[in-house]
Amino acid sequence: MKKLVCLVLAVMMTLGLAACAGAEFKFERKIDIICPWGVGGGADSTIRPMASLLSDILGVPVEVVNVEGASGVNGVEYTYKQPADGYTFMLGTQSLFMQDMSGTTSMDFKTEFKPVDVLVHSINIIAASKKSMDKYGVTNWEELSKYIEEHPYEVSVGMLSATGVDGASLGQTIADLMIQEIPYSSGSEVNSALVGGHCDLAITGTDEVAGLVESGDIVPILALCENRMKLYPEMQCSGELGIESYMGPWRGIFCKEGTPQEAIDAMVAAIEEARQKPEWQEFLKNAAYDERAVPSVEELPEFAHNEYKALRDYMSEMGTLTKDYEDLK
Amino acid sequence: MSTMELLASGFSVVFNPSMFLMVCMAVVLGTVFGALPGVSATMAVALGLTFTYTMEPIPAIVFLVAIYCSSITGGSITAILFKIPGVPSSAPTTFDGYPMAQRGEAGKALGVALVASAVGGLFSAFAMFLLSQPLTQAALKFGPSDLFAVTFMGLSILTCLDGEHVLTCIISGLLGLLLACIGQDKMYAVQRLTFGSKQLLAGVEMIPVLIGLFAITEVLRQTNKKSFLNAKDGVGGGKVNTKMPSLKEFLAIKWTMLRCSIVGTVVGILPGAGATIASFLCYTMETKVSKHPEKFGTGIIDGVAASEAANNAATGGAMVPLLSLGIPGGNAAAVMMSALVLKGVQLGPLLLVNQPEYLSATFASMIVTNIIMVVVAIAIAKVFAQILSIPYSYLGPIIVLLALIGAYANQMSIADVQIMVIAGVLGVVVKACHLNSAAIVLGLVLGSMCEANFSRAYLMSKANIATMFFRPIAGPIMIFCIIMLFAPVVMPMIKKCKAKKADK
Amino acid sequence: MFELIVNILLFIFLGFTFFTHVLEAPVPVKVQKNPYALQPDVWPKAIIILLLICLAINIVQIIRRNRGKQDFTFSAFAKSIPVFLKSKMFLGMLILAGASFVLETLGFMLTAILVLFFYGLLLGEKNILRLLIASVLITLLLYIIFSGFLSVNLPRGTVGFLRNFALSLESLIGGIKGIF
Repeated sequence: MKKLVCLVLAVMMTLGLAACAGAEFKFERKIDIICPWGVGGGADSTIRPMASLLSDILGVPVEVVNVEGASGVNGVEYTYKQPADGYTFMLGTQSLFMQDMSGTTSMDFKTEFKPVDVLVHSINIIAASKKSMDKYGVTNWEELSKYIEEHPYEVSVGMLSATGVDGASLGQTIADLMIQEIPYSSGSEVNSALVGGHCDLAITGTDEVAGLVESGDIVPILALCENRMKLYPEMQCSGELGIESYMGPWRGIFCKEGTPQEAIDAMVAAIEEARQKPEWQEFLKNAAYDERAVPSVEELPEFAHNEYKALRDYMSEMGTLTKDYEDLK
Repeated sequence: MSTMELLASGFSVVFNPSMFLMVCMAVVLGTVFGALPGVSATMAVALGLTFTYTMEPIPAIVFLVAIYCSSITGGSITAILFKIPGVPSSAPTTFDGYPMAQRGEAGKALGVALVASAVGGLFSAFAMFLLSQPLTQAALKFGPSDLFAVTFMGLSILTCLDGEHVLTCIISGLLGLLLACIGQDKMYAVQRLTFGSKQLLAGVEMIPVLIGLFAITEVLRQTNKKSFLNAKDGVGGGKVNTKMPSLKEFLAIKWTMLRCSIVGTVVGILPGAGATIASFLCYTMETKVSKHPEKFGTGIIDGVAASEAANNAATGGAMVPLLSLGIPGGNAAAVMMSALVLKGVQLGPLLLVNQPEYLSATFASMIVTNIIMVVVAIAIAKVFAQILSIPYSYLGPIIVLLALIGAYANQMSIADVQIMVIAGVLGVVVKACHLNSAAIVLGLVLGSMCEANFSRAYLMSKANIATMFFRPIAGPIMIFCIIMLFAPVVMPMIKKCKAKKADK
Repeated sequence: MFELIVNILLFIFLGFTFFTHVLEAPVPVKVQKNPYALQPDVWPKAIIILLLICLAINIVQIIRRNRGKQDFTFSAFAKSIPVFLKSKMFLGMLILAGASFVLETLGFMLTAILVLFFYGLLLGEKNILRLLIASVLITLLLYIIFSGFLSVNLPRGTVGFLRNFALSLESLIGGIKGIF
């Protein structure tokens, strides 16, 4: 009997060692990537093409699970309840950081989750409806911002969340913010409001308005980034006008703290491989996501920290900061 | 390209043998997905995406449109047979469909639902094809105050839902509106009415409440009965005869179907509204227009036809802004858009000018889908109806589980399952207190849209209520609403006064 | 009587809510600053006020309608409570409530088997063996359809062996799907 036990132990140890020596982590079953936002939204349409590429590379199904609600908190809570075994990842953006600091998540997101890799880092633009520009007699951002200054609460701007990233980046762009911020629940509602003449401006992404820009209904007027965009070389950018506003939504893969490092490394390697695929390059190009570089994996911790810090300062100014991390003060 | 050439090119895409086979498959898949609780039309389209990765853009949209249309129809099957709406927009179908099934008229209810769906779908397909541009322009005119007026119109009909209990009906509607306020508010994400519960942060969704109030309450009620509902008194000896209703019956509801097709198409185009709001609005509208409003909710074909014609008409409506502006008119349309964008198609106002074949192919797909759907859905309904023939001691728990999956899958949330159970228990209380569950659900569905648009309109009009409603669309609708709201209260008073005068 | 009690309780609860829980988080400074913004508490407060008015009228009406009726007393209501607690409906409610609370821990499969079995018993099924087998089969069928083919991730449970069973079943379905 003892011999048998010894034998079994020995075999198990050898197998264990072999597994360690192999270093390469192999995914053996379906991987879930939780998308805390709905099907058909911006976040969802970023992760779906990536998931299908990852599935081909890893050889196991990679499924996108949409767990929407409460501005993404539902998805975070769902992921948090899954075991950290390397088979559950989550798509995240900086808006989850804001939810964390407004105290809506049941855990400390900052310490319980860590970023694995950033997939896209897009540029927010301010677009104006052609009708409104004619109405106010403005042709570029400088004239428009002067008009806004002289006519408080006259110009309206459609956006997805007045208290989220859009609101924060608008706050950085327009001092005093004497403007009507009108939140909508989807990008398509913002676009309808712009084209219908109910809203003057929108803070949005280039991919959302591409078709309407082409037809001339909407004019891209200011890109919130350092350099002019290749897509619309006519459009001014905040960098050249000296406006300190560069915040743009990014989407990255997160995992729960405690997820085996090997699994994370394997996932990062797979994402790296997927990035080189023509399908992904094509996707980036179509959505104009290729205009801004994503932080590398080494830069991630610092990148996340800086984002946290910027959002913390904004929220504290808005009086909505309820959870204040020591290292951000 | 002339209209005829366009049509020919559209239908040639769909009638290409392999494509036609794909469309048939899409209809079967769509109907089954739609019928299963927990898989919404949006989810069905997303599931269909996997098949389209290798397709060209036009076949892809043809395929997805077929899934979309048929899933909205499929939802009515479970709504009628089990009182669990397969897709949210079939919720009002349960109001009359289920009582009919209980009377042994499931076949008639299904027949009406399918034909009304097809009528609605075909109507909106033609509207989309012929009037795409003017419809889009009209829809764009709807600003926040107009959208508020439209939703408010839906609410103003509360007073007519149950003529005997007007007051409790209003209370129920207000309770629904209050439920819609729970969680982060839609404008500024400020937490409200959660009582500190993290689970309520996401708000109270319509689906778990609806399934609870309807399906779960029904099972609980059956539990208390001495003799159980079984297949015999349910649906004719365990076999659902999907016998089509007679031509006479169809003729009787032709105006209902037409009205709801029109309203459904228009609501489908409106930004922020969709099939669910369309079917609720049309159902309530029909109760108002009808000569016998008291019969609604007791199982009449008008109710089933109203809701199903409307939600299928909304599918065509949702495609209108997508094709003419590149703005999806709903979540399912948004999924289709992302599929097209992934293939490098630039959606926008120029699409119809440069590549009108997208419109014609979508049109052809909708026409073909809506026709073969009737046949396919009857076959699928027969399969589902087999479930009804098993004894209630098995069927009851199965309904509970389907309800549980339906509530859970919406947001993958255990909290939603708990909300569903609570709603189920409260459904018993609601009945005992003469409150109206349909009114609660109506308030909940329209609540957030109503508040958000009021809030937006308030901002835009610079807090001036007068300018807010002094608009060509909102103004007349609001006046109509006020008449609607007060008529049932004022009319009896006037009658009384007159009677008194006559006495004197 | 029951109707009256529910209405009064609702009235008190809503009154309490009005003063304490309408807003539970700070309103952003920029929203407070904007003179034209509808503050987030206005809409729910308006609804609560309307509800309180309607409920008050309703309470008066209920009392008027039932005045003088014999069973419109608290003692009659108190007598009806134990009857309800013994009813099958109450047991059914307990099963459902229980299911919704164990769903996360035990996972969908075990919960479903328990619901099918106990609710089946409650509904008067006599053949226990048949019920048990049917419970297991129906559960498996539902799990395969929804989790395997419709990408509805049903709860797998947090208890180790239940979770592993669910996972192995999913892999099995995945494998079968892979063949086609």
